[in-house]
Order: sequence, then C-alpha cells, then structure tokens
Amino acid sequence: MNPSGPLFAGQLGGHGFHWLHVLPVLAALPAAAILFWGLVRNRLLPAVGGAGACLSAAAFGFGSLLVFDDSKRVPFCGSCHVMAPLVASLRADDGSLASTHFARGLVPHDAACFTCHSGYGIWGNAQAKKAGLMHMVHTVTGDYHLPLELNAPFDIDSCLGCHLEAPRFRAVEAHQSPEIQQALASREMGCTGACHPAAHPPSALEGGGPPR
Amino acid sequence: MIRLACALGLVSLATVVRLAVRTDGSGAILFSFVGFPALISALAIYGAARWRSGALRWNEGTHLRHGKEQ
Repeated sequence: MNPSGPLFAGQLGGHGFHWLHVLPVLAALPAAAILFWGLVRNRLLPAVGGAGACLSAAAFGFGSLLVFDDSKRVPFCGSCHVMAPLVASLRADDGSLASTHFARGLVPHDAACFTCHSGYGIWGNAQAKKAGLMHMVHTVTGDYHLPLELNAPFDIDSCLGCHLEAPRFRAVEAHQSPEIQQALASREMGCTGACHPAAHPPSALEGGGPPR
Repeated sequence: MIRLACALGLVSLATVVRLAVRTDGSGAILFSFVGFPALISALAIYGAARWRSGALRWNEGTHLRHGKEQ
C-alpha cells in the first residue's frame, strides 16, 4: 500500500474554495481599519462608525457560521486535550465500536464524532451544538471528571438511523426478540455494553492514549 | 468612550481572524467567550457615546419643524 498516493493525500472538498474561512476575514479587515482609525483619532464620523459596527457584526456572523460548520470535523473535536485520546483511539482499530465504525468507513471520516453524538434529525444537530457550547464551558472552567461519561443515556436513534432498515441488522436473531425490541424501543437498553463492545476504550476515557 | 469601543472592537475582531486562520477548540473558546462579549460591549459603548452626543434620540425640534411644514 502506498499511503502517499494522490488519492490518499487528498481531502474531501479539497477542490473547492473555503469561503467560510475567507468571509470573516474579508469583513474583519476593513472593520479593523475603521476601528484602528477611531482608536488613534478618538472620533468617528457617524456613517463611518456605523459601517465599522456593521462590518464587525458581519465578521461575527460569518465567524459563527464557520464555527457551526467546522465544529463537526474530527480534528476540531480532537483539538481539546481531554478529547485528543478519544480521537486518537478512532484510528487505533482497537475493537471499540467507534474505531470499528471508523476503520470500516461506516461513518464519514471527517465528521465521525458528530455523526454518532449529534442524535438523529435536526433537533439532534441543535442538541449537539448546545452540548458543544457546554463542552467549551466545562473546558474553560476545568469542570469535568475523568473517566469521561455521557451526561445522559446515548441516543440509540443515532445507531438506528443507519442500521434499522438494513437487512443484515433485521436478520440478527437477537434483534428479532420481542423482549429486546421492547427494551430498545423504551430506551431501557442500549446497543453498547450488553451486546456490542463499548464505544470507546476505557484508557481513552481516562484521558490516556490508545493501548499499544 | 470611542477609543474604548474601538479597542474592544479590535480585540473582538482579533478573535474572528484567529478563528478563521485556525478553527480549533481554543479558537472557538476565544471567539465565544472573549470575542462575543467584547463585541457586545464595544457596540453598547459606541451606542452610548453616540447617544450622549445627541444621536439616536427623538429630536423635538425636528418634530415641530415637520409639523409646521404640514
């Protein structure tokens, strides 16, 4: 296998221009020039001051879009110290449910964390953004404990959204059991733990690296 | 006050540029918890400065003048 081939080196969407990275800067630069002028002169013409305010607000609007979009990416999740071991474990192919999905290409590699942790549907996305904001608060305040745990039962709709209609999933004897179906449907039972391996290795949840 | 508003605005814009150059967790934290409050403060201070200088206020003289014209 040649890992340096052009196909392997390329990134999805690499052919497009990253407008979301450029637009905030395009709005911020003239705004900064106006504000710098005001800082030096201690006065701004009303129209110029209004333009500075509008351009600053626009820069923040584009910046917010950038955060909303780029926070789905795996490198973004792994950029915080506490999440780095979890992201590293994805590539370790250690038998955990997350790394199995990642290694087999069952989740988009660029948005693997978001795909499983965002919940299903548009409200799942909204909940994920709210949870992400709280993650930032916990990171800033240092208010988190190891090993990391989910603060609520995992939304198995994230799993069922892909697997439910798959013939292979429906053919499994355990999935046809009325008791198990009832337990899953009522959310008394999750997919991981009892039947399927844990989503992440304990060492990563403890803040350590993947087992070598 | 204008100077303070401009300084806070520049701080907030610096967090936007930092985020655009490198979008990661620390950039998002700076953008959300430093940039946004700085921008809101800058806009509030600028608005207050403009209000103190007579802008953004109901101008009675203008109102009477318009009334007279009608």
